[in-house]
Amino acid sequence: MKKALFFILIIAGWEAVSRTGIWADYLFPSPFSVLATLFNGFKDGTFTIAIIASLKRIFKGYLLSLAVGVPMGLLIGRVKFFSETVGSLILGLQTLPSICWLPLSILWFGLNEKAIIFIVVIGAIFSISLSTEAGVRNISPLYLRAAQTMGARGWRIYLEVIIPGALPSIITGMKLAWSFAWRSLMAGELLSSGVGLGQVLMVGRDLADMKQVVAVMLIIAILGLTIDRLIFRLLEGQVQQKWGLARL
Amino acid sequence: MKLLVKDVIKSFATGDRVVDTLDNVNLKVEKGEFVTIVGPSGCGKSTLLSIIAGLEKPTDGKIYVDGREVAGPGPDRLVMFQESALFPWLNVLQNVEFGLKVSGVDKRSRREIARHYLKMVYLSRFESAYIHQLSGGMKQRVALARALALNPDILLMDEPFAALDSQTRSLLHAELETIWEETGKTIVFVTHNVEEAVTLADRVITFSARPGRIKKEFHIQLPRPRNIETPDLGRAINRVMEELKTEVEKVVKEELDSDWAVEESALLYSNNCRMGSGL
Repeated sequence: MKKALFFILIIAGWEAVSRTGIWADYLFPSPFSVLATLFNGFKDGTFTIAIIASLKRIFKGYLLSLAVGVPMGLLIGRVKFFSETVGSLILGLQTLPSICWLPLSILWFGLNEKAIIFIVVIGAIFSISLSTEAGVRNISPLYLRAAQTMGARGWRIYLEVIIPGALPSIITGMKLAWSFAWRSLMAGELLSSGVGLGQVLMVGRDLADMKQVVAVMLIIAILGLTIDRLIFRLLEGQVQQKWGLARL
Repeated sequence: MKLLVKDVIKSFATGDRVVDTLDNVNLKVEKGEFVTIVGPSGCGKSTLLSIIAGLEKPTDGKIYVDGREVAGPGPDRLVMFQESALFPWLNVLQNVEFGLKVSGVDKRSRREIARHYLKMVYLSRFESAYIHQLSGGMKQRVALARALALNPDILLMDEPFAALDSQTRSLLHAELETIWEETGKTIVFVTHNVEEAVTLADRVITFSARPGRIKKEFHIQLPRPRNIETPDLGRAINRVMEELKTEVEKVVKEELDSDWAVEESALLYSNNCRMGSGL
């Protein structure tokens, strides 16, 4: 209720500013014209196609970074050699915004899909690795000892103790990585080429159609939020219920 | 003879100093025997248990179970820890099933076995509860069920009831005694609580500190179930306590300022028999 009122107020303020005429309508579109653009965009399929293309990319990139990042984090967390070598490298790489890799990425993979997916992977992978590592390090040695006396060995220890034990931390990292991936994707799409939300936004800019720019901005924000709510809140909730951690 | 500890030495290097935690420990435990090891905090009794479990390697010496040398941890020698070490990502039943799952027992039979042992510790109602929902005593019950479910020959217990309140503890003592009599397990139980050690054991082994070695053995030939009120048990407790007194003083003296001195028969004879572990 409070939330709804708040957003109504924001939209009302937005409308009010656009009516004052400080900026021309094509520079500062009113909420209703944006809504109309959204409606038309979905009607003629522009937005739908762009959303599907962008989501495909991010899922590919995100899954890839999970598939590589979690094992990498496990290795760094468990094997001293990796923590001293790869571990410190990752820490350094994580401070670098992933979009900085775009020039190289385009040269390596070409001006295509792969280049953007690479940016997404680079954006997400390090936070997944680092949080997996932290989770692995924080597992009580008691759990490992208990599992060993019960006859667990080798990969079973990883599968039955280390990964589930590190899961709360891994999920936190996944959530963070999702927002990194989402940002990387948009940056990549803005600067690169191919169908996608970023590209639709750039077309809007090129045509000086701010209605379209704002519409795409809204779509991006709402999509990111929805996935965060739907997937990560659910995962987090489950872990918190099991472990008895307080709801954040 | 079920378990043989032969000439076990364990030393740790801390900085440039080598500390002998265990110095030439020899111990024989018969099948079905209930042995408690009691000694002041830091005397190496828990280290000995870890070595028997195979979780730590002795610097020298060997452990034999049924005449075979112990090479590493295994489900024939299960350990129950002071903190329950239950897995918070599994519910109660899944925790009890864990060892069976790892050793490849199929789902239906491991569920059945787990339920049987949960019933034995009176926690059937809580099989789908998560660990954080249980009290300390309940956790140790689950841990006991989890250990028993693997049907180990030897149960190694590392101060399993130390963190519990005294009522819960004596309840669990009685139940452990019953379970031990029913299942005929060999139990090696480490504690710093003399009362607990004497109440439970067939044989009490006192440990001296720094270096940790076996000081003396007491055979407790009293009828079971034992009642802490009986004078025979009280006398036995006092005998063991007297033996350990000097050891506790030794440890405390190392930890405190040099002008500390124990007041004759005052501190160590208080009711809780904690032997200065809380000092």
